[in-house]
Amino acid sequence: MRSSTVDVVPSGGEAAVASSPQPHPRPRPKKNLAPFWLLTPAALVLLTLTIAPILLLVGLSFTDYDQKSLFTGAFAGVGVSQYASIFTDPEFLWSLVRTVLFATALVAGSLVIGMGVSQLLTRVGRTMRYVVTVVLIFAWAVPNVASSLVWVWLFQPGYGVVNWLLTQARVFGDMTDVNWAESPALAYTAIWLLIVWQAVPFIALTLNAAQTQVPAEYFEAARLDGANEWRIYRMITLHFLKPTLLLVAILSVIWDFNVFNQIWLVSQGGPGNATSTLGIWTYKTAFVGFHLGEGAAIAVVTTAMLMALTAYYIRNLLRSGEEL
Amino acid sequence: MSTSAPPRTAVGAASTRVPQRDRRRGRRRGRRRVGANLVALIFSVVWVFPVYWMINTAFKPRPEVMTAQPIFFPQHPTVSNFVNAFEQSNFLLDLRNSVIVVVSAVLLSIVLGGFAAAALSRFRFRGRRTIMVVILAVQMLPPTALLIPTFLVFNELNLLGTFVGLVLAYVATVLPFSIWVMRGFFLAIPYEIEEAAMIDGAGTWRILRSILFPLVLPGIIATSIFAFITAWNDYLIAYTFMKDSTMYTLPIWLASFSNPQSGTDFGGQMAASVLFSLPVVVFFLLIQRKLVTGMSAGAVKG
Repeated sequence: MRSSTVDVVPSGGEAAVASSPQPHPRPRPKKNLAPFWLLTPAALVLLTLTIAPILLLVGLSFTDYDQKSLFTGAFAGVGVSQYASIFTDPEFLWSLVRTVLFATALVAGSLVIGMGVSQLLTRVGRTMRYVVTVVLIFAWAVPNVASSLVWVWLFQPGYGVVNWLLTQARVFGDMTDVNWAESPALAYTAIWLLIVWQAVPFIALTLNAAQTQVPAEYFEAARLDGANEWRIYRMITLHFLKPTLLLVAILSVIWDFNVFNQIWLVSQGGPGNATSTLGIWTYKTAFVGFHLGEGAAIAVVTTAMLMALTAYYIRNLLRSGEEL
Repeated sequence: MSTSAPPRTAVGAASTRVPQRDRRRGRRRGRRRVGANLVALIFSVVWVFPVYWMINTAFKPRPEVMTAQPIFFPQHPTVSNFVNAFEQSNFLLDLRNSVIVVVSAVLLSIVLGGFAAAALSRFRFRGRRTIMVVILAVQMLPPTALLIPTFLVFNELNLLGTFVGLVLAYVATVLPFSIWVMRGFFLAIPYEIEEAAMIDGAGTWRILRSILFPLVLPGIIATSIFAFITAWNDYLIAYTFMKDSTMYTLPIWLASFSNPQSGTDFGGQMAASVLFSLPVVVFFLLIQRKLVTGMSAGAVKG
C-alpha cells in the first residue's frame, strides 16, 4: 500500500468533519477489501471459463470419451493408455516435426522481414514512412478468415493472379494450372506466405517503436568514429532492440505453434496429412472423429510444451522491466 | 546502399574539410534515402497487393473475374457483387448475430476486466503476481485446449449452438488480455492524483469512479476495440459450436460463402471479405497509435 505520510492538512469542509483534536492524518484502514471486491467477479469468471476447463481437459485425457458419450454420457477411464498410444503413433511424431519445422520457418521469415522493415522505416522520408505504416496496418487488420479466402483466390489454378505473375516471370516455366493444394511443398509455401504476410506488420511496428527510442547520440558518435552502417546496426540498434526482439520472437513462436485458421481454410491439413500440424491433428481427432478423450490427450501434450515456452516468455518479460 | 567515393576527396585545406565532409555526407545520405524510399515503395506494392486484389476483384463484373489474363483494373466497375453479398441468404442475419454476440462479450469483459485491472494496478496484495502470471499463461494456451472441455460442458448444459454459450466462450478468450492491457493503462496514471483525492476524503469507490476510470477511458476504449476485433474475427469457436446456419456469425458465413451454380463465386466472395474486413480495418486505423501498447499480452494477433 502507498505510504500515508502526507503532511498536508485537508482544508475547508473536510477539515470541519475531522474536527477532533487529532494531530495526525487519519490512519488508513489496516485491511482494504476493495481489491477483493473488484477482483472477485473477473476471478470467478476466469476460474469457471478457463481454469476449470483446463483441469477438465486433463481429466478427460484419461478417458475414452467419444461421440457416443456426447449423447449417452457414458465413458470409461482408460488411464494413461491414450498417452501411450499417442507417443507410439508415428502420426504424432510427424505432426510434431511438421509443427516445429513450419513454426521455425514462419518465425524466421517474419522476424527477418520484420526487422528489415523496421530498419527501413527509420531510413525513409516522412511520406514513405506513412505509406508503409498504412500498408502494414492493412495487412495486419484483414481478418485471417478473409485473408485465407483471398489467398485461395490469389493461388487459384488457372485463374490465380500469382500463377499468372509467376508464369510471366518465366523462372519456373508455365505455372498457370499449378494446383497449390496438391503438392505439400507448394501448400506450405502458400500458407507460409500468408502467415508471414500477416505477422510482419506486428513485428515491424513493435520493433520500430523500440528502435525510435534509441538515443540519437549513439549513432552520431558511432558515425564520427567511422563505423559503417552494418556495424552500427549490429552494435547499437540490435543491442537496444534485444529485449523487445526476444519478446516478439517468443510470442511469434507461441502464435506460429498455434496457427489454425489459415491452414484449415487454405489446405484443411492436406494434401493427405502433409500440412496437418499438431493443432490441426488435435482438431480432427476431437471434432471430426469426435474422439474427445484422445484429442484431449494430444491437447495436454501440446499445452505442456507451450507452457514451457510461456514460462520462458514471462521470465524475459520480467527481466525486460515489466512489473507483475 | 553504399555509394562510391566522389572524386574530389583530397581537395581543400584543413579549414574547409569539415563543411565539405558535411556536405558530402548530406549528399550521400540523400542518395541513401532515395534508395530506401525505393525499397519501401517496392515493399509497399508487394505487401498491399493481396488487399488490392481483394478489392479489385470485388468490384469486377462476373466476366472480368475469371480471365486467362488477369485484369488489374476493372474495366466496368460494379457494385453488383456487394449487392449480391447483401442479398445472399443470411448475410444480414449473421451480421446481426455477430454484432449481438461480440458486443455482449466485449461489454462483459470490459466491465469485469476494468474492475480487475483497477485492483491489480492500484493495490498490493498477496497472490497478485500469481494472478498476473495465470492471466498471461491462459493467453498462450493452444486454442483446442479450451475448446475441447468447453464443448463438452456446453453439450451437457445445452449451451452448444446458443448465443449465451458463444458469448461465454468469447469472454474466456478476451477477458484475460483485456485485464492485462487495461492494467497497463491504469499503471500509467500517477499515484499523486489518487493521493490528492484521498486527502480530500474521497473513498476508494469515489476515486475509481470520478478519477481513475475517466482518466483511463481512452485506454478502455482501445482495449474494447482490441477485444472487439478478436471476437469478431473468431472462426474456430463459432465453427465448432454453431451448427444451425441461422445462428452463424459472419466468419462462418464468409468461409462457407460459395455459389452452388457455378463453383466459387470469387467476385462475391471478395466483396463479402471486404465487407467483413471493413470494420476491423477502420478500427485498426483508429487505434493505430495504441496497437503496440497491447503487445506484451499479445492482444492483437494477425
